[in-house]
Formats: sequence, C-alpha cells, structure tokens
Amino acid sequence: MADGLRIGNIELSSRFFIGTGLYPNPYVQMEAIRASGAQVLTFAIRRINLESTEDDSILQHVQNGQYTYLPNTSGARTADEAVRIARLARASGLSEWIKVEISANERTLLPDPIETLKATEILTKEGFTVLPYTSDDPILCKRLEEAGAAAVMPGAAPIGTGLGILNPYNLGLIVEDAQVPIIVDAGLGSVSDVAQAMELGVSGVLMNTPVAKARDPIGMAQAMRMGIEAGRLAYLAGRIDKKRYASASSGLDAFKLH
Amino acid sequence: MKLIINGLEQELGVLTIQEVVDHYGLTGKPVVVEADGVVLQAEQWAATSVHAAMKIELVHFVGGG
Repeated sequence: MADGLRIGNIELSSRFFIGTGLYPNPYVQMEAIRASGAQVLTFAIRRINLESTEDDSILQHVQNGQYTYLPNTSGARTADEAVRIARLARASGLSEWIKVEISANERTLLPDPIETLKATEILTKEGFTVLPYTSDDPILCKRLEEAGAAAVMPGAAPIGTGLGILNPYNLGLIVEDAQVPIIVDAGLGSVSDVAQAMELGVSGVLMNTPVAKARDPIGMAQAMRMGIEAGRLAYLAGRIDKKRYASASSGLDAFKLH
Repeated sequence: MKLIINGLEQELGVLTIQEVVDHYGLTGKPVVVEADGVVLQAEQWAATSVHAAMKIELVHFVGGG
C-alpha cells in the first residue's frame, strides 16, 4: 500500500525536505540531494551581487522540473517583509510554495509567532501554498492550520543547533491535533533524531545543516533518508508499550527445565 | 541616470528595466525584479521605464534551508 504525502496539490513519495545551503561544493550538494531521495528543495532569496554577476544562482545546479521548490522568507523580521519576499519568489515563476520564516532574534533565530501567523494569513489569501516554520507550540500550530497553512513546520530546536527534539511531548500533541501534514523543520542533528520525529507521527522532516555539514554529506543524506523511512515504518507498525519489569520472550514457565 | 539598485547608487544609461537587466548580463537567468516596491513579471520589463532615483531590486535564489 502506498504511503504518500500530499501537500497542497502535490503528491510526494519522499518525506525528506532538504535545504540547499552550506554544502562544501555544488557537486557534493547535488549528490547529497540525489542520495536523500528528496523531492522538495528549499532556497533563500537574496540580492544579486552587482560586483560579480557570475551565475551563482543555486538553480544552475538543479535540473528543472525534477523538484518542487520551497523558497523561504529567511531574513524577514516582520510579516510585511516576509510577504514581500514571497511575492518576489513567486515572480520567478518557479513555485507557488513558500516557507514562511520570520526571525526577530539573531542569536536564537527562533520564529516570531505573531508575525508568522500574520504572514500565513496574508499569503494564503494571495493563493500561495504556505508552509510556516514555527515554534513547537500546539496551539500556535493549530492556529496556523486554521489560517490556511498547507503544512505546519514546528522546529525541533533552534536552526543549525543539531540539539534534536527538545520537546517531544509538544510535538506529539501537535501531531495528534493536526489536520494538515506536520513537518519537523530545524534543530535536528542525527539519524536517531529524525527517526524519533517520524516515530512521533510527523509527516516529514526538513533538514539542511545536519547533512551539509556532516563529514560526508552524501553518506549522511542517505542515512537520514533511511532513518526517515525506518521511523515512518515504525510509526505505522506501532511500538510496544514500555513496562517496568521484564517479561520473558521464550514462552511458558511450565516447560522450564528445572 | 542615477538609480538605486540593490541599495547602491548606480549611474546607468538605460531607459527600461529590461536594459538594467541586460546591463548586468542577467538576461535569461532566473532573476526577479522589484521596482519602487512593485514586483515585475519578466514580460513587463521591456515596457517599464526607469526614472531618476528609482529603487530597483535584483534578486535570485541562493542556497538555504
């Protein structure tokens, strides 16, 4: 039975969303993306450097049509700035999808919940497929869903920290209540982190740093892919309950040899 | 004509947005243009005249998460 993921009007077979920043070089980046099996790639929007307009656009390395593009609004500090970046991204003609990312604090890069909700409301009305990056607050995640988010993306921990899931309890509550896909975005570090996220029942995972900054990004991309698949299968299969004491796995006491 | 492009004052001999894009060798590349706060579709570039002190943003996609 196919276990697909639908976001907006796109059907995905991979639950891995991968970022395109921080790789050692374009070759490693492309091979890591390939190894990840990801179908959704994230990007940022920035001013072109007029001093050197050599084609440093990330898109020159990515084959058109093969991926769904998820541009982000990183750099925005307010809803208005995020809306502006989203409109610029859409004018490229490459994607109607937008990851709302609004950080007001340089040190933590934690999302501003109020501005994020505001931007999600505006962009949904403008016809974007909106995937807001948000804090792992169950009520806020629900509010973003009600505002029209196509998927909601709570962070596991601050961006780039690799701290793993700081609040698995909250993440579990978010998943329980959600009517749209929940994608864990940011803060993951290892395969065990992604497997844990998937076991909690999230629909997918968005990662950049843990792959791009691994000693071997291509190997790590493949490992993360397998971790996501394993975690998803385990979630569907249903883990055993935890017990305080041992219970023998080799049958009835009556047949013991003593 | 003096234009403000990506926050920097530039003196260019151009009449339209298309000519600004051409000037920087960006034709045919995945570039997006905003002029005085309005996002322009590529089809509008040739028909959009520039004026003195116009604020133009030339942006593109870069790596990000």
